[in-house]
Amino acid sequence: MLRYLLRKIWYGFFVLLGVVCVVFLLFNVLPGDPARMMLGQRADAASIEAINKELGRNKSLTEQFLMYANDLSPISYHDTKDKSSLLFFSTDKYASSAQLLTLSNNKIIILKYPYLRRSYQTKRKVADIIFEALPETFALALAAIMFASVIGIALGIVSAIYKDTWIDTSTLVIAVLGMSGPSFFIGIIVAWVFGFILSDYTGLNMTGSLYSIDPFEGEQLDLKNIILPAITLGIRPLAVIIQLTRNSLLDVLSQDFIRTATAKGLANSTVIIKHALRNSLTPVITAISGWFASLLAGSVFIEYVFGWKGIGAEVVGALEKYDFPVVMGTVLVISILFVLINIIVDIIYGLFDPRVRLQ
Amino acid sequence: MATTPLLEVKNLTTTFRTDGGIVTAVNNLSFTLHKGQTIGIVGESGSGKSVTSLSIMQLLAKGIGKISGGEIIYHKENGEKINLAQLSNDEMRQYRGNKIAMIFQEPMTSLNPVMTCGEQIIEVIQLHKKVTRKEAQKQTLDLFKQVQLPRPEYMLSAYPHQLSGGQKQRVMIAMAMSCNPSILIADEPTTALDVTIQKNILELMQDLQRNNKMGILFITHDLGVIAELADTILVMYKGKIVEQGHVLDIFSNPQHPYTKSLLACRPPLNKKLHWLPTIADFMEIDANGVIIEKETNINAVLGRLQINETEHNAQLAELYKQEPLLQVKNLKVEYITKRNIFGKPTVKYTAVKDISFDVFPGETLGLVGESGCGKTTLGRAILKLIQPTEGQILFEGKDISNLNFKNLQTIRKDIQIIFQDPYSSLNPRLTIGEALMEPMRVHNIFNTDEERKQRVFQLLKRVNMLESHFNRYPHEFSGGQRQRICIARALVLNPKFIICDESVSALDVSVQAQVLNLLNELKDEFKLSYIFISHNLSVVKFMSDRMIVMNAGEIEELDTPDVIYNNPKSAYTQRLINALPKGELSDIQRAVQRRKKVVNEI
Repeated sequence: MLRYLLRKIWYGFFVLLGVVCVVFLLFNVLPGDPARMMLGQRADAASIEAINKELGRNKSLTEQFLMYANDLSPISYHDTKDKSSLLFFSTDKYASSAQLLTLSNNKIIILKYPYLRRSYQTKRKVADIIFEALPETFALALAAIMFASVIGIALGIVSAIYKDTWIDTSTLVIAVLGMSGPSFFIGIIVAWVFGFILSDYTGLNMTGSLYSIDPFEGEQLDLKNIILPAITLGIRPLAVIIQLTRNSLLDVLSQDFIRTATAKGLANSTVIIKHALRNSLTPVITAISGWFASLLAGSVFIEYVFGWKGIGAEVVGALEKYDFPVVMGTVLVISILFVLINIIVDIIYGLFDPRVRLQ
Repeated sequence: MATTPLLEVKNLTTTFRTDGGIVTAVNNLSFTLHKGQTIGIVGESGSGKSVTSLSIMQLLAKGIGKISGGEIIYHKENGEKINLAQLSNDEMRQYRGNKIAMIFQEPMTSLNPVMTCGEQIIEVIQLHKKVTRKEAQKQTLDLFKQVQLPRPEYMLSAYPHQLSGGQKQRVMIAMAMSCNPSILIADEPTTALDVTIQKNILELMQDLQRNNKMGILFITHDLGVIAELADTILVMYKGKIVEQGHVLDIFSNPQHPYTKSLLACRPPLNKKLHWLPTIADFMEIDANGVIIEKETNINAVLGRLQINETEHNAQLAELYKQEPLLQVKNLKVEYITKRNIFGKPTVKYTAVKDISFDVFPGETLGLVGESGCGKTTLGRAILKLIQPTEGQILFEGKDISNLNFKNLQTIRKDIQIIFQDPYSSLNPRLTIGEALMEPMRVHNIFNTDEERKQRVFQLLKRVNMLESHFNRYPHEFSGGQRQRICIARALVLNPKFIICDESVSALDVSVQAQVLNLLNELKDEFKLSYIFISHNLSVVKFMSDRMIVMNAGEIEELDTPDVIYNNPKSAYTQRLINALPKGELSDIQRAVQRRKKVVNEI
């Protein structure tokens, strides 16, 4: 199992390396002059050149890439003396670090957190921006997927058991509706109906984030705000999970070992829950993890409609302003999350199905 | 013999709702099973034998199958009689697995793949015996020892995929025995297993019966399997019992033509036939569904079909004067079972070790061995579906072992394969016509689809199918029909050489005889040569001119079937021959005597 995990992490490392290359190339061949974006249209040539030099844009693409990789890598090479060098070791960039090796009097190798650079616009560290927005998005995505999984698997089981009855058919209708409704439209309807018209009964607001700023008590956790966006975001995965669970369960229920279980004298409920469900969840887990990962990547519309301060909103803002470091940083962090989720899902597969553990 | 009835089935009728209306699967069936007795139910697929067992267990598919008449009376120990047919599902649950247990045909799929073998048995014991988990675990361990599973402690926590087929069937038996049932229903429990394992399993079942005095209902399509096991035999045909009687009477003096054909269609070991008797040799069904007997004497039929030895030997001598069609030289096939983190192979498994043989034009070379001996790998390596690791394969003198894809295409036209499972080797989304025309298109045979269609019609007729089957899909056909379609597909390219990989192993004996006959006819007609692979020695013996016994990737023996059968040199071949269910009267008599003695001792 450990070997298996190590191999997965090893592959994950290569995936990330690929992502770094693609992201770097993409944003360096894209048109757009960051210096001009930062200084405005009336900036003089000298300041633009100064900015370009500061950003290292006067160097060759290869050098720029190596420097970017040096910034990202946890183990990196630096210069302690030459302040004009882009490799200059400043405590401002690398807040916490440990010196590993001294090569010569001014060349060192250090261990540090990956440095995602600073926003062109706000000059804030990209890592700070992301880790401010990410928990919000994470909470929303997790709530949405939990809602979709729990309700979806339950409804899937029910409609498989009552196959071809009115229960099955009406669940199917719900699933089809959920699949076909555009999320921004459903979002607006949900926000309006439950957050406005029925607000007196539900006690919910149309918009709001995970943390609200109270004028007297400062930042406060406001959990009830998550309900409406989570449901809206969860509707599509819900529809998919219902269908998958139903079909997969029906498939398993027709297999020989289910007949064996029934022939043992087990009750129908035991047969379904103990014998059939575990066998039928593999495709469902795949779907759940896939959806969860893509929800993390930001659900721009939903965050926009409900005024949620998540990563989706952040990326859209950064793209509009050509704030490349923010976009690049976000893409990287989300790629890492994708890889991590995939590794976790592989472990879950192993737990559910012993046959997977062998490979 | 003690006669305590356990189960009385009276006038049982089971019907199925299908698209074509109501079908009666079991029609007015009656029999009584006594304590310590074994009843064998024999018939081909569709005869209603499995439906009978499912009816007794009340496991018929809900809303589709229904017991529409008759009684199934279970006699409790206290003499109380219960009609199982009238019990509700919840009431029935107390009998299932507890009083009446069942073993199914496919050990591979009948166990839950995600639960440990131990857990699957502990579950039943806890359910019916109401004991603690610890006690249930102890009993399970005892059961595993009783069914002679190797490393019983390990088996408790092993998953089904870690076990071999025979071991899984032992787990199934342990499960069935876990609550000391008074009735055991075994539905083709050994059909999917090798003969040697089949023999062990049958012996195990007899041992267990002796200890527990169960009544056994043994369902099979092969009379030979239950010859030494059953006391009474019921022969079923189209939902009805056509003959029932003591096992000795059935074997020595069968009355019904269907029973006779079942007995005669098994490839005989002591005679050489050029043609296997089929049901059609013994009976016909007229337009009103009445069975008309054509031939009463089995031996008369067998006598007619016997091979003329001198003529046959002369033919063979001619055959071996030719240049070999296929030469396999020092063939070796390895599988990579483990790779390191960089994808480099670290552990290899050698499936075929250094094998050499020739096949002459017009010859059938048999290949027999247990599962895992490498016979299928060998067949596929010849077709180059698997790349051989070492060695040469010469076809018509040309080395094909290192051909590239394009050159291989022309060879593929000449060498075809017929697979084991006719259910999964036909694409369910292609019509029969499409499936048969596709290879001709790939190899550019004929210019228009119209010509190809004519060719397909011709071949369908040749394999005894109809032109109207052209536009039908595989699921509309029975196993035997599908295998005929697979044969037609192999013939479509006019090959010189066909590899039959367990091509009849999934079929009933009666259908098997028809398909074997067809293969022999086609061989003469189309001037084919075969490699005939099977785990069943009697089938290989019937089919082949020479045969190879394979074990652990190596050739144990290569000789004519008669020499190998009458005078086996290796212990392995000897074991294979001993394990064959032969259905000989003297063996049956001995078995009956043995059982009588045991009963008297009780």
